[in-house]
Amino acid sequence: MSAPGTAESTEVIARARAGDKEAWGDLYRIYAPAIFRFCRRALPTREDAEDATMEVFKKVWDNLHQYDATRPFTSWLYKVAANHCWDTLRRRKIRQDKETEDLDSVPLEHPDANQLEQLIEQRTSEEVRKALDKLPSRARMALVMRYYSDMSYDEIADELGVRRAFVGVVLLRARHELRQVLESTGALAAGGAG
Amino acid sequence: MSSPPQSSMQHLDEMTILLYLERQLERAKAMEVSTHAQECDACRTLMRAMERESRLLTRAMLEEEEPLPARLASFQEAAKRSMQWIWMVMFGLAATGIYAIYTSYIAPVQARLQDAGFGGTNLLGLLVFQGAFWKGWQSMASFIEILAFLVIGVSALLLFRRWFRRGTLAALLVAGMCAALTMPGPASAFEKRKGESIEITKSETIKGDLLATGHRIVIDGTVDGDVYAFGQDIEVNGHITGDLLTGAQSVRVSGQIDGNIRGFLNNLTLPGTVGRNVMAWAQVVNVDSAGKVGRSLTTFCQTLGVDGKVGGDLVAFDQSTRIAGTIEGGVKAQGEMMTITGTAQVAGPVKFEGEVEPRVDSGAKLGSGAVDFTKHKANSRMESKSGYYIWRLLWSSSFILLGLVLVWLMPSFAGECVTAAENAGASLGLGVLVGISAPIAAVLACITFVGIPVGIFAFIMWLVLLFTAQLVVGGLIGRWILGRTEDTWGRVGRMALGMAIIGVIVPILHQIEFIEALFRMAAMIWGFGAISLALYRRVTRAPGTYAAPPMVA
Repeated sequence: MSAPGTAESTEVIARARAGDKEAWGDLYRIYAPAIFRFCRRALPTREDAEDATMEVFKKVWDNLHQYDATRPFTSWLYKVAANHCWDTLRRRKIRQDKETEDLDSVPLEHPDANQLEQLIEQRTSEEVRKALDKLPSRARMALVMRYYSDMSYDEIADELGVRRAFVGVVLLRARHELRQVLESTGALAAGGAG
Repeated sequence: MSSPPQSSMQHLDEMTILLYLERQLERAKAMEVSTHAQECDACRTLMRAMERESRLLTRAMLEEEEPLPARLASFQEAAKRSMQWIWMVMFGLAATGIYAIYTSYIAPVQARLQDAGFGGTNLLGLLVFQGAFWKGWQSMASFIEILAFLVIGVSALLLFRRWFRRGTLAALLVAGMCAALTMPGPASAFEKRKGESIEITKSETIKGDLLATGHRIVIDGTVDGDVYAFGQDIEVNGHITGDLLTGAQSVRVSGQIDGNIRGFLNNLTLPGTVGRNVMAWAQVVNVDSAGKVGRSLTTFCQTLGVDGKVGGDLVAFDQSTRIAGTIEGGVKAQGEMMTITGTAQVAGPVKFEGEVEPRVDSGAKLGSGAVDFTKHKANSRMESKSGYYIWRLLWSSSFILLGLVLVWLMPSFAGECVTAAENAGASLGLGVLVGISAPIAAVLACITFVGIPVGIFAFIMWLVLLFTAQLVVGGLIGRWILGRTEDTWGRVGRMALGMAIIGVIVPILHQIEFIEALFRMAAMIWGFGAISLALYRRVTRAPGTYAAPPMVA
């Protein structure tokens, strides 16, 4: 089995594009876990993520001929997944489209680095994932696109429908919201323990 | 987090550090930030902390804390294709089943009724087999035939799609759909006329159907087909060999219509002749003394007056019914009052259900001798209503109890059913198809080699699913209100809330005839389809999970 991005997976993609069913099966096996995780991080429930993964691969199958082979396959795949997840949230009317693009409200402060270091030190990956689940859909989507699938600022701007210059603001606000959730859960845990 | 007061120099703000770390700053600005960070401990520490934060985020998201679900491990191109085939096969089966029922049972019964003449006062029989809706059944049969052909055509295209390019396939599909839509009906020609005033003159003959829309429509000539007329005033002085389907304020037929009249209108006056049936939703309907209806007259109106002749039965749901002419069949009427004048002749039995006893003038000739009258009692209505509400309360409570047990026993599947129900289109479509095809399959199983036990089991399963379908809709309503949950008791609560809401809505809808039945049927189909969809997803799951290599994002 080949890992994404290797020469072997490039060959699998080429064969799948040519209509090779076996290659399509291989392609699915290689990329399905990553896409499922992406959807799991972006959508509210596990069932949603399962459905979304299937839908994403249906779209990939239907549009494989549109994929530009000169660009990384994973970028295209994540773009399809992000598009689908964001669209699902829109249909459910649980995403927030009306966040202001007011650059004046950008936090330009210099936070206490030691306090931040301490927070990061104390939190486990699992706690971060739980905190992510509690974020508003837009913040979560932005963080997933940037820190899970490494999408560019241009791609994130395109997906969220904001100006490129505003992507940093969205990400920083999302990080602030995440810190707040982590701090509050930490305080709760400390209170509970005490 | 506050700014540290440790240095007098201007610190970098968090936004700038983030953009620097993400390589989003221009070269000159990035150099400036880098130089500053080398000199400033506070900014360097913050930069390092934010970098660690980014890494923590990526690590937390990339970690595989749960394996790929079995359903996804098995989901491949083949599964996708088999789904398409199952839909196709089910749709084809359903279409064939409906067509088989129509040709085997409905058409022969209709033919026998036509041959023997129809003398009863059964409303369902009137509506379905002999009433003005008869043509609709024929159209439906044609529609199903077209659908069946389309299913076969699309299936063939999918089967041979390897030989077509994608564009060619799409073009063929679109062309096929267009051809089916534009295909002329068996009766062929269809003429459309639109304008302020439309007149078919005496000397004019239209071969085929006519669709006329206008303020005033006058037909003095001949239409050799059906007429679909929508306007304010419609007059038929000429001859229509087919049916008249109309929506208008005032319709007057003094000519001849060989087929049926069916319409939603304000006034219908009939001094002319209608060969078959009349069905009208109107305020006032008058069959004048010269007017003739060949078969049945069915009205839902405020005032009905029959001075002319009705060849079959009269079925009236009117406020006031007056019979002064001849009815060759029976009369079944419901309303406030009924008057039968001395000139009236009714060959069959006369039944009236109303507030006050009907007035029958001396000289009226009734085949049954007297009117079979049933008085509406105010208190009996109340009794029946209170009984209904108690029954509804018990019914809703038992549903909630049943749902509670089922959700508690199968929390995951219950959640999957509600999730499937969110896909309303697929659920409703599947609900209709499985709802129809499953009992047909059960009957087929009973009469073929598959065997009676399997058939009976399938039929019982179908009934059970139909019974529990409402619970899924209840769960969906609960989810709409309270949001999603993965907690078992949360699911139970949402289902109970949804069922309670249904329990309130249904009695309200009960006030309006048919709406309650429609609502319940829609809920049943929706839920049934959702259960079927969830079951299908379960069945297609693989027995084990697949451990795929991690993907580096």
